[in-house]
Amino acid sequence: MSQLANLKVLIADDHFLIRQFVRNTLQDSKINNVQTAADGNEAIDLIQKAFDVTQPYDVVFLDWNMPTISGLEVLSYFRAKPEYANTAFVMLTAESEQQNIMKAIKAGATSYIIKPVSPSDLSKKLVEIHEWIKRKRQNAQAHG
Amino acid sequence: MEKETATQASLSLDEALAQDISAAVVNAMRSTFGVAVVPGTFEVGEGMVSLVGDVSGVIGMVQSHLEGTLTLCLTYETVRNILPQVVGKSVSITHEMAVDAVGEITNMIFGQIKSSLAQRGYHMKLGIPCVVSGKGHFVSQFHRGRYMIVPFHLDGQLFQVYVALHAEASKAI
Repeated sequence: MSQLANLKVLIADDHFLIRQFVRNTLQDSKINNVQTAADGNEAIDLIQKAFDVTQPYDVVFLDWNMPTISGLEVLSYFRAKPEYANTAFVMLTAESEQQNIMKAIKAGATSYIIKPVSPSDLSKKLVEIHEWIKRKRQNAQAHG
Repeated sequence: MEKETATQASLSLDEALAQDISAAVVNAMRSTFGVAVVPGTFEVGEGMVSLVGDVSGVIGMVQSHLEGTLTLCLTYETVRNILPQVVGKSVSITHEMAVDAVGEITNMIFGQIKSSLAQRGYHMKLGIPCVVSGKGHFVSQFHRGRYMIVPFHLDGQLFQVYVALHAEASKAI
């Protein structure tokens, strides 16, 4: 659990309720390096700036429906860039249609979480996401 | 013809739909706010009815042969009861916070109802959620079909989910 505390996380959601809810859950897991974005444009800007100063986000939570640019578009934008291959992009959305889930998975979502989600289920997902990040880094080192 | 339509509509607004609504509301409130809401006895009726609330989330529901509206109607008291569970007890709840929260709760609850209906073979499209606010406002659905109201209780407070289906639409469900 202590390794989770080192994660750097961005929560992109236009609703403050969800930004605060996820932040609370992350804090319960001792994750305090957390920023938020209220729309897709702001999310893209923050993700790029963090990468430019060599402090990229480990995990980005994306709502599907956001003003300006959707979460799916943000996901597709960064998945087209190999330098973000080790970043976990997690869709956190009320969109529950199977075809949308498939669309997000095809676009490269690391995980897909349907709202509402309980803090305990979100914490379990975080552990899985952390494992994914570790595997990606190990593979990168093995092939680097 | 009207009688036949009304009969079909009453089949749609049934125990199974009330259970879908109850499960969605109970789950959203427990997951997001950690509160236990208790569903009451649902009511089915005909024609127009007005709900009274302070913050309401409204969303349209359509299918090829169906038109309906889903409404979540809460009082400020209920919103002030649940929101501090997420934003903290020391934070004073603003009007904007209440509207934002009800918009998102509406999204989550009706998204889950849509998913439950899809599992039962009813594939719906939902419109863009709309939040109406104002102390003691009325929410009136102008339709000639049937409606269902499912009440929920939380620490002595009451809030309601209202489903209205257009009479012509009832053939599909």
